[in-house]
Amino acid sequence: MSKSVTYEKINKIYDEKGKNPVHALKDVSFTIEPGELFCLLGPSGCGKTTLLRATAGLESISSGKMYYGDVDISTIPPYRRNIGMVFQSFALYPHMTIFENVAYGLRVRKVDNATVKKKVTEVMELVGLQEELKRNPSPTGLSGGQQQRVAIARALVYDPDVLLLDEPLANLDAKLRRYMRAEIRRIQKATNVTTIFVTHDQEEAMAVGDRLAVLRKGVVEQIGTSDDLYSYPENAFVANFIGKMNFFESSVTEVGEDRITVRPDSTDILISIPLERCHVNPSRGDKVLLGGRPEQLSVSKNPAPDSVRGKVRIIQHLGSFIRYEVEMDERISPVTFEIDMDFLDKDIREADDVYVSMKKEKMSLFSPDGREI
Amino acid sequence: MKRGMNESMTDFASEKSTLKRFFKRDFSQVIVFAIPMMFLAIFLLYPMASTLVRAFMAPAEDLAFHGFSLESFRQFLTSNLYKKSLLNSFIVSIAVTFFCILIGVPMGYCVARVKMPGKRLILSLGILPIIMPSFVGAFTWVILLGRNGIVRHFFNLLHIELPSIYGMFGMILCMTLTYYPFVFQLSYGAFASANSLLEESAALMGASRGRIMRTITFPLILPSLGAAALLVFVRAIGNFGIPAIIGGNNYVLPTLIYFEVNGFWNINGASSIAVVNVAITAFVLWLQKWMVSRHEYETISATHTEIKQHEGKGAVIISSVYCAIILIVSLLPQITIIVMSFFEKWTGLFPEGFTLSNYTRIPEYSSHELFNSFYLSILATLLCALLGSIVAYITERKKPKGAALLDLSIMAPFILPGTVVSIALLSAFSGSSFLRLTGTYTIIVISYMIRRTPYVYRSVAASLTQLNPSLEEASTIMGATWFHTFRKVSVPLILPAIVSGSILTLTTLLQELSTTILLYSGRTRTVPIQIYGAVQDGKLGQASALSVVLLVVVFIIVFMMNHRKGKGDFSSSFKM
Repeated sequence: MSKSVTYEKINKIYDEKGKNPVHALKDVSFTIEPGELFCLLGPSGCGKTTLLRATAGLESISSGKMYYGDVDISTIPPYRRNIGMVFQSFALYPHMTIFENVAYGLRVRKVDNATVKKKVTEVMELVGLQEELKRNPSPTGLSGGQQQRVAIARALVYDPDVLLLDEPLANLDAKLRRYMRAEIRRIQKATNVTTIFVTHDQEEAMAVGDRLAVLRKGVVEQIGTSDDLYSYPENAFVANFIGKMNFFESSVTEVGEDRITVRPDSTDILISIPLERCHVNPSRGDKVLLGGRPEQLSVSKNPAPDSVRGKVRIIQHLGSFIRYEVEMDERISPVTFEIDMDFLDKDIREADDVYVSMKKEKMSLFSPDGREI
Repeated sequence: MKRGMNESMTDFASEKSTLKRFFKRDFSQVIVFAIPMMFLAIFLLYPMASTLVRAFMAPAEDLAFHGFSLESFRQFLTSNLYKKSLLNSFIVSIAVTFFCILIGVPMGYCVARVKMPGKRLILSLGILPIIMPSFVGAFTWVILLGRNGIVRHFFNLLHIELPSIYGMFGMILCMTLTYYPFVFQLSYGAFASANSLLEESAALMGASRGRIMRTITFPLILPSLGAAALLVFVRAIGNFGIPAIIGGNNYVLPTLIYFEVNGFWNINGASSIAVVNVAITAFVLWLQKWMVSRHEYETISATHTEIKQHEGKGAVIISSVYCAIILIVSLLPQITIIVMSFFEKWTGLFPEGFTLSNYTRIPEYSSHELFNSFYLSILATLLCALLGSIVAYITERKKPKGAALLDLSIMAPFILPGTVVSIALLSAFSGSSFLRLTGTYTIIVISYMIRRTPYVYRSVAASLTQLNPSLEEASTIMGATWFHTFRKVSVPLILPAIVSGSILTLTTLLQELSTTILLYSGRTRTVPIQIYGAVQDGKLGQASALSVVLLVVVFIIVFMMNHRKGKGDFSSSFKM
């Protein structure tokens, strides 16, 4: 039933012979396990949609091979791949009832009427639309969330080998989006179809996916579970794309047996990081980035040992925590830091000078290359 | 050596697999696309090319690629008749465009922006003059303003001498009253759909009404106005019926073509006139595109706020009276032919000799013509719908390398006067041509297709651009072949556009005169040809009755179309 999907050195170059060739995918190679809910995540233009459309066969690839299970499908046209796809716009047919919309794939496969009726009813129950199916209106009369469910039902009804979701939640409002992403996970687990989910929203990807691949400029930067990516990002880009990471521009002062010691620029503080938290292999004197997540830093009105001075710009109350936006010395960081505290320090006001301390055992070290989105 | 053999073996294997893949591919698409392409190549591109070649040949020579001659063009410098025709064409088309804008824009503004009663009625009545055959308008103006016309009688009683309807005055009057609806409808659309927030924000920033009009409203409708002006100009310069009936000795380019062919069978000479005619039209088209491209804005907005309308009593009265006068004057021809069709003659203030015989004799003297008109128009419309939709689908969805060229070649006949299309077909398929079609039904159907396919094409192309391609992709993903998707998804979704384009095609074909007049034979005579002949013979009663029949049929078709559920929109078919 459910099959794995394997990419082998996929390259896609748009306008290959033209004036401005665009290298949209570069040597993409990885495997998605059978029954897995896999997220492709990245900023716009990173190639995630191109990869999804290539998986569907809607886009040709310039080189490389794709497999469903162990069958090479690189040159098989989309209509013979037995896949389901949910589009961002849902792409429901306004000239058909919702029953006929859902039944479409079965009709194409020349399934007999009794089976069509049975399968459509089953899948509509799965997505929770049995009442709407009884009225059977045109899809234009449904709400956004219901249209989404019809689109999912339509893609699942003929038991596809792979289900592809192209930013399926982008057209829904914020509240419905949070609800539907849980629904998608429930439906996917109920059917156990190998699923690829494309999104640019890291929160969505972390909430939905079994595993995630982060793409940037056509290259896969890191693959792993939500926890892998959040706790052990391999580079500065992933660290700052999955959640937020504040970076201290620093220089290496000493490379030891099991620790690397660095000094944040413009300070005389020395911080040593254990090797397992160093995602860079520097020599003495090299420039590196010392990274800390918002909850791994703290602010206080008075200087503490090994703290760095900054100026509070904005204080935001965000319910369970307080976010301080702190401007640092230009040499440490050109962008403001985000620091989350779980209590409100009454002494600190906007425009006050403060001292930023770090939980040294949680800090990590990254290469300064390619951190921009 | 062994390696070399291995390589050639793998070469052979891969060749075999490509061959296999080749036969596995879905070829329905190629077949569906190839047929319209062949049609366009044989019946559009070849005739146009042959017209161009003939234009550079001495008169009365057969089609050949030697004997290059500018003799036919030299006529434009030497012959008074040619010089005068060219000048007349210019004067008439420019004057008609000018007057249409003068009448149409204020009317569009009044209906869109003044709170007055009967707007829907004004909009529906306002489209009637384009629906009526233009030459019918011309001969009714003869009844009204001719030497014995009733309006002239009336003015004579007041001791006012009106200029003769035969000549420049008559042509400009008739064409203006026929074509002003284009300007009216398009400027109405632009005024009504403009984003009200733009004007409101200007008002909030302290701009006066006049300033808003000058700096916001007018610049925003300029592209629509340009399109409307172009539409009028192209039609005016290509109109055959009006100058043929009331032009008298004042020839224009389309009547000059007819004169050369009908009088002397000088196809080469006619071709060169056609080339000049098309060159002027193409130049104006380019000029319009160039001007619009410098002032292009998105005028249609997503906001649904209603535009504030003038409610002052004075504004309402003035605009109601203005619209009423224009409508009455432009609808006089319709009223006149209906009255005329029940009488024997109409030379004084009142018609004389009430009779029904104009109608009762129709089955006897024109049953064959009626059959021809319907047979040719319906057949051509069905073929236009097929051709137009497929080509639109190709250019919009497949976006092949030559899409722009394809678009250009299918739209070219839109700016070609009917007489020019006929000349192109005559020059390609008469005499010793490999395919001799003169005098057949086929050549008329082809000429109709060539001329009217742009209506369906534009209408379908517009609807396809609004259709999300993922609707078709979804079908492919669900396992449908290209043809299944085309049949079950694409066609049903563009059907409204096909229908509205086809209806426009059918109604214009039923009244088609300028193309048919050079191509018909005794066997293939249509109703408009018969009306034209009756007018020339002075049988105005017979001509009126036949015109009323045409008018009623066309009106019923358009009426049904407007009352269809989810009615289509003519405007996209008119655009270029």
